[in-house]
Amino acid sequence: MHLVVVGISHKTAPLELRERLALPGDEAARLGCALHDGATVAEAVVLSTCNRTEVYLLTGDTGAAERLAVGRLAQRGGVDAAALEAAVYGARDAAAIAHLFRVAASLDSLVVGEAQILAQLKDAYQAACDEGCTSAVFNRLFRHAVEVGKRVRTETAIGERPVSVSSVAVDLARQVLGKLDRRVVLVLGAGGTSELTVKHLRARGAGTVVVAGRTLATAAALAGRCDGRAVCFDELDAQLAAADIVISSTAAPGYVIDRARLAGIMGGRRRRPMFLIDIAVPRDLDPDIGRIAGCYLYDIDDLQGVVAANRHEREREVAQAERIVDEEVGRMNDWLAGLEVVPAIAQLRGAVEGIREAELERLGGKLAELSPAQRDQVEQLTTAIVNKILHLPTVRLKELAAERDAYVYVEALRRLFDLDGAAAVPAGEPGESAQPPSRRAGQAQSKATLRPSPSPGASGQ
Amino acid sequence: MAHVEVVVFWLGFLLYAGGLTFFVEFLFSRRELQDRLGLACVVAGWTLETVTLGLRWAQAGHFPVVGAYESLTTLSWAVVTVYLVLAWRTGVKALGLYVTAAVLLFLTIAGARYSPPLGLTTALRSDIVVIHVAVMFTALAAFLVAGGAALIYLVEDFELKRRHIRPVLGRLPALRTLDQLVGHAVLFGLPFLSMGIAAGVIRAAVYGGPHWWRDAVVLLAVAAWVIYAGAACGRLASGWSGRRSAWLAVAGLVCLLAIRLVAVPYLSGFHSWGR
Repeated sequence: MHLVVVGISHKTAPLELRERLALPGDEAARLGCALHDGATVAEAVVLSTCNRTEVYLLTGDTGAAERLAVGRLAQRGGVDAAALEAAVYGARDAAAIAHLFRVAASLDSLVVGEAQILAQLKDAYQAACDEGCTSAVFNRLFRHAVEVGKRVRTETAIGERPVSVSSVAVDLARQVLGKLDRRVVLVLGAGGTSELTVKHLRARGAGTVVVAGRTLATAAALAGRCDGRAVCFDELDAQLAAADIVISSTAAPGYVIDRARLAGIMGGRRRRPMFLIDIAVPRDLDPDIGRIAGCYLYDIDDLQGVVAANRHEREREVAQAERIVDEEVGRMNDWLAGLEVVPAIAQLRGAVEGIREAELERLGGKLAELSPAQRDQVEQLTTAIVNKILHLPTVRLKELAAERDAYVYVEALRRLFDLDGAAAVPAGEPGESAQPPSRRAGQAQSKATLRPSPSPGASGQ
Repeated sequence: MAHVEVVVFWLGFLLYAGGLTFFVEFLFSRRELQDRLGLACVVAGWTLETVTLGLRWAQAGHFPVVGAYESLTTLSWAVVTVYLVLAWRTGVKALGLYVTAAVLLFLTIAGARYSPPLGLTTALRSDIVVIHVAVMFTALAAFLVAGGAALIYLVEDFELKRRHIRPVLGRLPALRTLDQLVGHAVLFGLPFLSMGIAAGVIRAAVYGGPHWWRDAVVLLAVAAWVIYAGAACGRLASGWSGRRSAWLAVAGLVCLLAIRLVAVPYLSGFHSWGR
């Protein structure tokens, strides 16, 4: 059995193709089911976001599974399979695990460190799980991937600093004003960035939103979308006196507010600080406003400077995150190696033989009273019992090894006989809910065991 | 007993130093874990310093405030206590860096001037002296925190005004939070300072001779009181805040530190027991 991933992402496919292959709602899970229903694929999870569509498969025949997945994707997106091949990347076994873990850790994202992908991955796995398309291996693998994502987020600062103008503005507002609860936000003009910033501020608890426009009608549209109140520019002074945060993005050719005007207003505020962002080009707010005590003014260049610095910081954390991913891939590989049939049989034999020898040892004193011939007979008898008991399970396992879900039996065997030692499989570990195999008969395949190859066999990419 | 006390004292010192290291690391590495480790070190160090003071008290037979070693150790303990209460109640970060640095300075001087317990002179055998010392230390601890918050405020305000938005800013508390902290700490410390000065004046009038008021400690304490009272009145009556309030808190702290680090050991006629 092998792990395979095929898919497209922002790195390999243009937006148009990604749109065609995007699988909204439960379509991703349905595609997973369609792949799973055939004879080739033992487990399947499909992940679809705006930046990637990826199919993860557990299969005995990697080539067939890859062709099947690409074919289905092409069919679903209405594109030519040959054309799709050019944009598709793939990875197998250890490389596939590494790819999944990197996706979960948001190392493969368009904006490295973004938090959404982890939730999307969880949802994709949950949907596949609910549809019965996952079993022992993918249950373990995807839960492990989610843990890797969490670990990277806690142990590195990869997702810590905002990398968009609007969220940088919100962070700065918090740096000046502390908690944003009940703060009054005044918006001048109605640019897209100011709307986004207001939404971010609202999400962080900001109170009243007031939108000021040249006319009430222009202000009302944005006010409606932001659940705010529209006012006219005539009321600007009164609104400025009450505002804690001012966001300006009008199309005015000159300054909308100059220093003298705001200095007068600040005098009546008992030095309550004001945070101002000027997103407009040309600027709306006199840069000298920043020199008034209690006024903190930032323009679009300041904010973009922070965005650039934060992006750079995130990239510096990538190396640390990659180390975590490598370490976790190693652990996952070790677990997968334990699912091979032949070593499991050997271990089972060893364990039972160990019990036999220990029992004979325990009876050492009593056996000493027997003659050598009698002791030989006891030895032969116990060995025969062990062999008889183990004969049928051994034969059955070897037969099952040819089937696609042999690893499920191996996993069960390891648990029943505690072949990893009790500590190796603590309660609550991922993979506990290994489902019993639902289909077995007539699916003989060339590869009998699940063998994670140490050398990544990437195809395409 | 004395050996145990010294060992525990220096172990506590090392833990504070560890705390300082973690806080510095936190400022630049941006990992929450560092901040928590720093706080854990401070709590452990504080526990050991409490033990130190307990041992000293038992050995000397009186509240340990006589001589540089005892008084600075007790003061450090009070400062860390105020900081821990603040950290627990408000979750305000970055102050730990300043507090551990200040406390390490005090403890270095204390450790360097270690002396076996000194007996109480007649002038110190008085309930009013105990009250004077206890409230003065409480006031000093509060003003040290206010001064620290004010210093951080001034640095942060300077950077934000210059639009120098460096990552380290994200590790400092919000300007508004710091401003409130300064205000609250000053308002909290002022009544204690007033009580402490009153108690000191009563005692000095009895014991200090006719020119007690010309003493450097007394003059600096009154100067500090005027600054803090001005800051508190300005804040309550006219809403003084921001940079003005921060500068006043720093100025007051300079007076108080001058008392402890300059006037008491070198200038004062009284307050000089054991130096």
